[in-house]
Amino acid sequence: MRWKAIIFLGLLSSLSLAGLTQAGRAQAGEIAYTVRPTELKAKPFSDAVTLARLEQRTKVEVIGRRSSWRQVQVDGKTGWVKMLSLKFNHIVPLWGADRKAGDTGLAALFNVASTGSTGSSVTTGVRGLSEEDLKHTKPNPKALEVMDTYGVNKSEAQRFAKVGKLSSQSMEYITESASGAKK
Amino acid sequence: MKTKLLLVAVMFISTACANMDMDKVLATAGKVAQGPAPISETQEIAMGRGIASNLLGAAPLLDNKPVQKYVNQVGRWLTLNSERPDLPWHFAVLDDEDVNAFAAPGGYIFITKGLLARMKSEAELAGVLAHEISHVLKRHHVEAIRKNTRTSLITGLAKDSLRQSGVSPVLTNLIGVGTELYARGLDKHDEYEADRMGVVIAARAGYDPYGLPAVLQTLQGMNPTHSNLALMFKTHPSLSDRLDLLDRAMSGSLDRFETQPDLANRFTTVIGQ
Repeated sequence: MRWKAIIFLGLLSSLSLAGLTQAGRAQAGEIAYTVRPTELKAKPFSDAVTLARLEQRTKVEVIGRRSSWRQVQVDGKTGWVKMLSLKFNHIVPLWGADRKAGDTGLAALFNVASTGSTGSSVTTGVRGLSEEDLKHTKPNPKALEVMDTYGVNKSEAQRFAKVGKLSSQSMEYITESASGAKK
Repeated sequence: MKTKLLLVAVMFISTACANMDMDKVLATAGKVAQGPAPISETQEIAMGRGIASNLLGAAPLLDNKPVQKYVNQVGRWLTLNSERPDLPWHFAVLDDEDVNAFAAPGGYIFITKGLLARMKSEAELAGVLAHEISHVLKRHHVEAIRKNTRTSLITGLAKDSLRQSGVSPVLTNLIGVGTELYARGLDKHDEYEADRMGVVIAARAGYDPYGLPAVLQTLQGMNPTHSNLALMFKTHPSLSDRLDLLDRAMSGSLDRFETQPDLANRFTTVIGQ
């Protein structure tokens, strides 16, 4: 069974998805700001050594993620902060001094065409699905039939999970009240 | 009962004042008087199929079978960890630069190439798919369609089910309402609920549960004026509000799943390079 999976993965890797992700997994250059006073930890654990105490609105450069932690660089130090203590910003925050001009971040990273250097960029790439497209659409039963052929049955899904070493866990849903005040 | 009557009266007066069409007034009155008619699972699936077909009329499928299969494998595994594992779940990547994902009743889930291209791991894909799956689990679209449709039409659907074949005019009408919903969006509380449920379903399926907030943060880092974000921004609550609520919902409750894998390598092998 295992060799089949290996062959399958081999096939997948040889069939590249041209144009989908040109930039690999690099995450350099993502800028975020702390939304609250936050400890910079040496490792992605709450009981790890604290390298620094970051004040609210500290600018950091995000370089990676492990579960609920983001690896960041700040003032020459590299460490970990809780990911939801960060807010990612494209536009200058009100308190910020330096500006991230144009669409030089992810859009460039993923080669999504854009122009403009004033911060209000204009897309020049292929226009995406719009409200108008949805209003004037017509059924496409042929495409639906093709979509049907991609379907995966239960045992296939279970095999896929096993190859990825994914195992089912039990957990109740989080209630609205547990998530704090209603917005 | 008194409250209901009062409501009807208020609605009549206010709608009449606003000079709205009589159909709408009657529909509102009808809904209040009769209450909602149930929509069966068979009807839900038929409706979803029609809406999916319409969506595929607006954006083509990505012509890449390995990627389509992979997204179905991730999605189908997630559904096995949900309350509705036996729906005819189908997943598809749309060949579209827009950054978005859609759910249609009965188990039809779509994600655009533009969103997939910005993801970094299988856990992130799982998080987004689980959010969409949650809309189906809670029948958010079915309920929204019912709220936006005249009661007589829903009653007509019940009569319709006695007929055997084909898509009836009544169903076609509801499918139209359902398709329009993609341009208007669901209630924001449906979106928050799908976020809260999505992270739990990802955790149940054995994934790092922080994939969904990670994707939301990636989108937060994009230029908000980017035209490929317009429809998603119009139809969803703000990323800040969603992340803020996820922060509160997830803190503490998901700690025991911290070490679950994100399968970034498997994702990269299939999607990247």
